[in-house]
Amino acid sequence: MKIGFLLNPIAGMGGSIGLKGTDGDALDRAIDMGGTPIAAIRADMALKRLNNRLSEIKMRKGRELSIEFVTCSGVMGEDILKRYDLGYKVVYNVESEKTTCEDTRNACQCFMDEKVDLILFCGGDGTARDVYSVVKKDLPILGIPSGVKMYSSVFAIDPIAAGDLLSKFCLDDKGNDIMLKDAEVVDIDEEEYRTRGDIEIDIFGYAKTIYKPLFVQERKVVFYGRDEETCRRDIAKFISEVMLNDIIYIIGPGNTTKAVADELNVEKTMLGVDIIKDGKLIGKDVNEKAILDILEEQERSKRQDSMAKIIVSPIGAQGFIFGRGNQQISSKVIRKVGINNIIVIATPQKLRETPYLFVDTGDKNLDDDLAGYISVVSGYMMAERKKVISPRLL
Amino acid sequence: MNDKTTKILLDEEGIPKEWYNIQADLPTPLDPPLNPATLEPLKADDLKAIFPMGLIRQEMSTERWITIPDEVREIYRVWRPTPLYRARRLEEYLKTPAKIYYKWEGVSPPGSHKSNTSVPQAYYNLKEGIDMITTETGAGQWGSALAFGTKIFGIKCRVYMVRASYEQKPYRKSMMKVWGAECLPSPTNRTKSGRAVLEKDPNTPGSLGIAISEAVEDALLDENTHYALGSVLNHVCLHQTVIGLEAKKQFEQIDEYPDVIFGCVGGGSNFSGTTFPFLYDRIKGTRPDLKVVACESMACPKLTSGLYTYDFGDQAGLTPLLKMFTLGHDFVPPPIHAGGLRYHGNAPLVCNLYHDKIIDAVAYYQTEVFDAAVTFANTEGFIVAPEAAHAVKAVIDEALKCKKENTPKTILFNNSGHGHFDLSSYEAYFDGRLVDYEYPAELVKQSLEHLPKIPKS
Repeated sequence: MKIGFLLNPIAGMGGSIGLKGTDGDALDRAIDMGGTPIAAIRADMALKRLNNRLSEIKMRKGRELSIEFVTCSGVMGEDILKRYDLGYKVVYNVESEKTTCEDTRNACQCFMDEKVDLILFCGGDGTARDVYSVVKKDLPILGIPSGVKMYSSVFAIDPIAAGDLLSKFCLDDKGNDIMLKDAEVVDIDEEEYRTRGDIEIDIFGYAKTIYKPLFVQERKVVFYGRDEETCRRDIAKFISEVMLNDIIYIIGPGNTTKAVADELNVEKTMLGVDIIKDGKLIGKDVNEKAILDILEEQERSKRQDSMAKIIVSPIGAQGFIFGRGNQQISSKVIRKVGINNIIVIATPQKLRETPYLFVDTGDKNLDDDLAGYISVVSGYMMAERKKVISPRLL
Repeated sequence: MNDKTTKILLDEEGIPKEWYNIQADLPTPLDPPLNPATLEPLKADDLKAIFPMGLIRQEMSTERWITIPDEVREIYRVWRPTPLYRARRLEEYLKTPAKIYYKWEGVSPPGSHKSNTSVPQAYYNLKEGIDMITTETGAGQWGSALAFGTKIFGIKCRVYMVRASYEQKPYRKSMMKVWGAECLPSPTNRTKSGRAVLEKDPNTPGSLGIAISEAVEDALLDENTHYALGSVLNHVCLHQTVIGLEAKKQFEQIDEYPDVIFGCVGGGSNFSGTTFPFLYDRIKGTRPDLKVVACESMACPKLTSGLYTYDFGDQAGLTPLLKMFTLGHDFVPPPIHAGGLRYHGNAPLVCNLYHDKIIDAVAYYQTEVFDAAVTFANTEGFIVAPEAAHAVKAVIDEALKCKKENTPKTILFNNSGHGHFDLSSYEAYFDGRLVDYEYPAELVKQSLEHLPKIPKS
């Protein structure tokens, strides 16, 4: 088993001290301003846990696991790995302690050249994005959370969980319960967040990550033993069967909604909003205005109540169904379509990670109307009741 | 009965001597089961390959009373008559003016009502020289009950257990083993139907519908092998009427009569058995106000959301077509913990009564059902099976309504079995891991068009 490991030393040093991005002297400034190198601490926690787990396995099963780390020099990896009994090789040399996103990307390329089985990184959403930009879906990646905000789904719940997951992954046993899932990597406008308190989230792409189903007791039962892709296809099959002619379907972004389009043989914009009618694409990557125009056109030609439906999937690790990543489906659009014509779809895996769903349409009354219980289609002829909350109500 | 009486008991002579057959009294006669090949009403001969004549006659009979063989009554003595409890502590806790009674079927050797029919079914098969019975089981209650029934009469037994439950409730499987039965996780590779499902989805949780297909197919392969069904069919509902018949006597003993009766419904047999003897009074007009409510799962709400039509009883389409409320025979219900309620259809007798608006139905989410089960355990002591907990939930709701409206109703429910093999489900509840599955009824309406087409009668 070969693991690529890197950390972004400045990740998580805090929005509070005004750090954005990875400009040249950010690290120095952060330290000067009293920021603690959180990433190193969090990465250390994860690796310590992994090290302990591996020793346990060795003692219990008398089995030496062959794990080889490839990493970056100095602060980007080596400094932590050398504390433990984990064999490693430096394959990327950091020229300066002031690392940049280029370093992250270059290191990932080196890991890929080394044919690693997984890339473990420590950082925040920005680091996830840099890793993903090189790795895409070719390799599973796992994040040790260390950023200020983490909306991407590639992160373990905490560093300890990351260590546990990785030790399981390294076991490579049948029945080790570790599964692969698609995980959103999101792009957030932090500036917007800091200045206006609004979060703009766009899906940057879908990476592959490892996870262990939470439910040990029922682990062998159905969905827990089923990969997300199959569940997504089940949802898509069901939705495609219940789609009616003459109705406009406004399809939100994401890979679950894309599966619906795939089922209909329609090419969907993964990260945008598309419109389907009578099984055909009539609006590609549309903005709010284009959606409203199409709705008006439909209104002129039809008189029935149910003239349009919205199909969306929760976005980001927090599970927003409106207001993040699909702002094109604005409050105006939602009101026009009617809240009874919203179909929310999500895989059981996604729903398990999001105890509540969120709405933040910017229209307080609409958010209040949307709050409450909603039926989320999670399989073929199957739904789960979930609670929808407006963050403003929290 | 004094103000502390908690159990209303009958002695063994109180075990009914006849089963009550509601087919004699249905306002609308039952639509006949159809042969799927010809779409003609089924003949007794069509069933001979899998059932003994003794049971086929009961299945088709419209005689009101059917004698319980002495050999069966002898075995019934092991746990029958079951006690009728007054749930005084639950009443107190709810501060309700309602009187809550429940029939406790958890006292049988397999721990549920299912042995009321497994014993007579094994008996009639033995009488006709059958040496092996195959069956399916959901939560494992029926499988263990048939294992017990066949052991008593010295017949071999093979049980196809829905895989989801097989994993969740390993001790049910051990129980079957103790009684000498062979228990297999369904779908298996043994049968054509099983292989077909596995090919499509090797990780399938299985379902009662699939397990029935496998058990029927298995029985068809051997002349001396028969099949037994734990619910749905008329003769099964018939055997369960011992519950309601005893309860009626017990109510007579204390000079009471229920205003409302609740039972959970999977295939409908425990509900039928409890309520049919009382519904006799309602149909005859002596108790016109009696309210009878079937409690189902929101994840599998065939009565409240299904279509009343002919459908197969199993997934593969091997069984006769039955007129029932159904979610479609190819519907695989979500893995709720009340495995016994994971069935796409319901007993034609129950459906007939529901269609005629003689009974009502209500559906619940599993979290609220477990809330009720825990309340029950904390007051009455018994840890009930998740299936029975659906009735408990309905009872608590009704009792609270009585409190609000200050109406001192008499409530009866059938506590169909204990939950000692369901503790992992209780664990999941305490850990907040229960998923509130529900059936997307509105969206599904169109997909029910895939049911077999039957000419309008």
